[in-house]
Amino acid sequence: MVEVATILLMGVFAALAIHSNVLRLAIIYLAVFSLLAAFLYLLYAAPELAIAEAVIGSGLVTLLYLAALKRNRVYTIGVVNEQQRDHLSDSYISHVERSKALREIRQFFLLREFEVQIVFVSSALDEALNDPAYDLIVAEDGEGFAAFTDDESYAMLELEMMVQMHGSGSAIRFVRHSEEGVV
Amino acid sequence: MSDTNVGSESTILRLIVGLLYPFMLLFGFYVILNGHYTPGGGFQGGSVLASLFVARYVVYPVEDTDTEVLHAIQRVFLSLILIAPTVLLFTGLVARFPHYRGLYLTTMDVLIGVQVGFGLGVAVLRFAFFQGVGKTWRL
Repeated sequence: MVEVATILLMGVFAALAIHSNVLRLAIIYLAVFSLLAAFLYLLYAAPELAIAEAVIGSGLVTLLYLAALKRNRVYTIGVVNEQQRDHLSDSYISHVERSKALREIRQFFLLREFEVQIVFVSSALDEALNDPAYDLIVAEDGEGFAAFTDDESYAMLELEMMVQMHGSGSAIRFVRHSEEGVV
Repeated sequence: MSDTNVGSESTILRLIVGLLYPFMLLFGFYVILNGHYTPGGGFQGGSVLASLFVARYVVYPVEDTDTEVLHAIQRVFLSLILIAPTVLLFTGLVARFPHYRGLYLTTMDVLIGVQVGFGLGVAVLRFAFFQGVGKTWRL
């Protein structure tokens, strides 16, 4: 009876771990799953396995996952507006957050399991570009949004390609800049 | 990139882990030393010992441990694990003195336990502190 209940509960936690949208929660569900597995081993008279499962499965592996999750978690997008930087209004913020370009970028990084964080930068564009705190700088000018990046990784190329494939609807341009200035 | 560490500057975590630390050490060696007649043994006890490194990392995630030294210790114990049966078991010493069989098993358990403890600990620390070289694939 207890065995069946444990197995069913393990199934529940396995499903929760798979279907959870928040990775941190999924790791915790996996740890609980491991702990239930250890308990099950104990019920089936395998205490040695139970100790190993409890220590490795829910201890070391959970921490390894958390350490893996810790690195490169947050992708910070800085939004610069040269005109409005001194008085950011709520309507401007919601206009940017709801714009198609920002939603597309956010969706792109969410699919790659990033937490996207949008920061409204109150400094000038040149300063913001040299600030290592931002991974991507989005500036709004008369024509729409422009994304400034010096990141040569494949992810950026992929994002650029995705935006190009969507056509003009997204209204975002990509600008490469280097240490010397905008190229 | 925001610089958040697992559990950094958490007083509750620091106190609780500090309180549990000696008990974890004790439990690890208990599991190792009683391995040959109660559940447990070298590998299980070694995993518990490895969780000491992990607990320290959780509370104080600063890279001040030289993993090369730990790795060297682990390799010494690995070679001892190979040497001990060669000297004691295959020469027939354990068979000739059956009274010392328990001592032999405990010795092997301790060697395996320490080796596994250092090995898993080094693996976890290396992984946790691994920094990619240069500006590589960041996703």
